[in-house]
Amino acid sequence: MTPPVLKYDVLVSKPLVEEIMSRSGQNLQSCYQCRRCAAGCPVGEETGVTPDRLIRMILVGDREAALNNLLVWKCVACYTCGTRCPNNIQTARINETLKQMSKEAHCKPLTPRIADFHNAFMTTTRHLGRFNEIESMAIYETKTLFKELAKGNLKAMFEEMMSQGKLGAAMTKKKRMHFDFDRIKNRSEVKALYKKSKGR
Amino acid sequence: MEIAYYPGCSLHASSELYDIQCKLVFGKLGLELKEIEDWNCCGATAASKTNEFLSIALPARNLGIADATGLSEIVIPCSSCYSRTLVSQKKLASDAALKASINAELGQKVQGTVKVSSILEVLRPKVISGEIAGKAVKKLTGLKPACYYGCLLTRFPIDIEVPDSVENPQGMEIVCKALGAEPIDWNYKTDCCGASAAYNDAEQSQLLMSRIFKDATARGANCIVTTCPLCQMNVDAYQDEVGGKYGIDKRLPVYFITELIGISMGIDAVVMQVDRHFVDAIGLLKELKLI
Repeated sequence: MTPPVLKYDVLVSKPLVEEIMSRSGQNLQSCYQCRRCAAGCPVGEETGVTPDRLIRMILVGDREAALNNLLVWKCVACYTCGTRCPNNIQTARINETLKQMSKEAHCKPLTPRIADFHNAFMTTTRHLGRFNEIESMAIYETKTLFKELAKGNLKAMFEEMMSQGKLGAAMTKKKRMHFDFDRIKNRSEVKALYKKSKGR
Repeated sequence: MEIAYYPGCSLHASSELYDIQCKLVFGKLGLELKEIEDWNCCGATAASKTNEFLSIALPARNLGIADATGLSEIVIPCSSCYSRTLVSQKKLASDAALKASINAELGQKVQGTVKVSSILEVLRPKVISGEIAGKAVKKLTGLKPACYYGCLLTRFPIDIEVPDSVENPQGMEIVCKALGAEPIDWNYKTDCCGASAAYNDAEQSQLLMSRIFKDATARGANCIVTTCPLCQMNVDAYQDEVGGKYGIDKRLPVYFITELIGISMGIDAVVMQVDRHFVDAIGLLKELKLI
C-alpha cells in the first residue's frame, strides 16, 4: 500500500479554516477547484501558488504553508480571481487576511520590499494625513538599502539607487515630482483612527 | 451644477496635470468640481493589505466630509481612491457596529448619502446627452487609442454592482468614439499593470506591463488612454525600460481621458500639461494635426 501523501487532521484544520473564513469573510469551503482563478491570476506563474492551491492549503490545515507563500506577498490585488469565481470567493481578501496573520505571527516577509513599501505608505499617511511620495520613498529606500548593506550586497544597493534615481530624475525633468509636503489640518482625527485600529 | 470632488494624493502630486485637466474639462461641461475640505488619503492598497479597519475608516472620514457638503454626488478620478471609497461606503451600509465605531472618531459623521462616481460614470451621460460632442471643436480623426481600464474600475473586493461590463467595459470607448477617435479592440484592457509593484516588485510588474504593450502595439493602437493616475504613471514612465527589455520597439503616448476630451474642445495642450508625459505625447497630436 502506498503511504498517504497528505496528513489530514480535522482538529488541526478546523481552527485555521474558521479563523480565515471569519476574518476574510470568504466561504472557502465552497471552492470546488475549478481553477478559473488560477487561469486569470497575473502572478500565478511566478508565485507557483495559485488561489485554488492556497485555498486547498488552508482547508487541509497547513498553517505554515498558508502564512509563508509567495502568492500572499506578490498578490497585486487585481481581484480577477474573485470576479471570475463561480462561488464568489475573493482570494485577494484571503491574501490580505493571511498577510495580516503572518505579521501577527511574526513570520519573516518572503518579499521584504513589498512589506516595507506598504508600511512606509501607512507611516506617511499617519504622519501627514496624506500619502507623500517623497517621504514614503525615503522611508522605503532607507530600509531597503540598509537591508542590502547588512547582507553586504553592494551590487543590489547600487542597482536600487540607479533604478530609483533614474525614475526620480525622469519625474523631476517632466515636472512630475512635487517637493512640498501636502498635509491635512485635522491630523488628530486620522491619528485617532490609527489608534483605534491598534486596539482591534 | 456643482459636484463634490475628491482628487486623492496622486492628483495633488505626480499627477497634478490630471487634476488641472479634470477641472478644465468638467468646467466646460458645466460641472463645477468642489474639492471636499481637508480630505485624507484613502489608504489605497497598502491599508487593505495591512489593516482592515483603516482600509474602511480612512475613506469613511472623506465620506463624512462629502455627505456634509449636501451635494448629491462625488466624483473620484483615481481608480484606487474610487474603489476604496465605494467599498467603504458599501461596507458601512451593512455593518452598523463598524459605522458607529468609526463615526465616534469623526467630526463629520458618515451618513452614506453621497453617490460615489468614477470619472466615466460622470462622463458617460454627457456623451449620451450629446454635450461632449456638442462642446467639441474638432474630431480626433486618426487617433487609435487602446482604452486601458486596469483593475479597479470594474473589479471590487466585495459585491458591488458595476456600471459597465466587467470583462469588456466600454465606457472609455464610448467617450473616444464621441470625440471621433477610433478605439481599437484588444485583450488587455482590464489587466493589471502592477501598480505599486513597479517600485517594490519590479520584475513582476514589468512582465505585466510588457503584455499590455505587446497587445496594444500588435493590434495597431497609436496611443493608450486611461482614467487612472497609477496606471498612467506606470505604463508611461516604465514603457521605455520595459520595451527595451522585452523587445517592443514602438512607444505609445499614454493619455488621460481628460486630455483627449480637452484637445477635442480646443483647450491648449500645454495648459493641460500634456508635455509632462514620459513618452512624448505632443508629437502624435501634431502629426495628426489635432493641435
